[in-house]
Amino acid sequence: MAGGGGGGDGEPEFQIAPMIDVLLVLLIFFMSIATTAVSRYDPSIALPVAPDANKKDDSEGELVFNVAWRAQTQSAVTTYEEHTVNLDDVVSTLIARKKANPKVRVLVRSDALTPVRYISAVIDAAAKAGISDVTFATLSR
Amino acid sequence: MKMPIQQANPDVGFQIAPMIDVVFVILVFFMSLAAQIRIEQILQTKLPGVAISSATTEFVDEQILQVGEDGEVSLNDESYDSPQSRDLPQLTGTLLRLKASSDAAKSKLVVTLISHPDSPYYRTIDVLNSLAIAGITNVTFTSDSDE
Repeated sequence: MAGGGGGGDGEPEFQIAPMIDVLLVLLIFFMSIATTAVSRYDPSIALPVAPDANKKDDSEGELVFNVAWRAQTQSAVTTYEEHTVNLDDVVSTLIARKKANPKVRVLVRSDALTPVRYISAVIDAAAKAGISDVTFATLSR
Repeated sequence: MKMPIQQANPDVGFQIAPMIDVVFVILVFFMSLAAQIRIEQILQTKLPGVAISSATTEFVDEQILQVGEDGEVSLNDESYDSPQSRDLPQLTGTLLRLKASSDAAKSKLVVTLISHPDSPYYRTIDVLNSLAIAGITNVTFTSDSDE
């Protein structure tokens, strides 16, 4: 049985159309993975390591609190939705979020050296708002 | 001096070369942004709350885990591992046995974690990691009160 021939005898030319296709697919892929995590997560926070923590399935209903420890001043700065917050003031916002979506959960992202009192303050705010699901962000290594 | 007059070219058509240049630049930008992203994991806890039930209440097997100011870990007032130990092998082993015995007895194992307010956060995460190894999911997180 004769195999299919290549067709022409000449040199195969560089095809620009498939290259643009591949380029756009790569672009969309990197755009999607880069934009999901950037806005709400403070990259300066050095998370604690927990090798056996669970993989995060989705970020739906996640209320992210970043707790940054300032060693020079021996104080912590808590941010929620990119704003520094007083945790007593944020309870009403959390109650509204809980009312809108009962499956919300609080995600605490904190520096490893932060004293637990600042983490407890975030948990206390979540408890006052009636949110019982509290998760802690960690790194695998 | 007489300047040369440029010829007007009203219909240059779609230029593919500059488009590819721009797309490459955007691609490189997002690739570099994606390279900086670290994959995070989570440790889950459940805060205590009021449960309204018409059925009979099931008794649970509650264990108290405490983290001291210096990072010392104790389970039901008994100390485990040294404060410098990050893996907490003794505690993990005990939690695995507790989980196995509670599964055998078909009872619900609940662990209440009480951390000293001045203890470092990573120590609490070490303990939560041991609980994750033991497969204990019913974890309640509380803190010592300052007052």
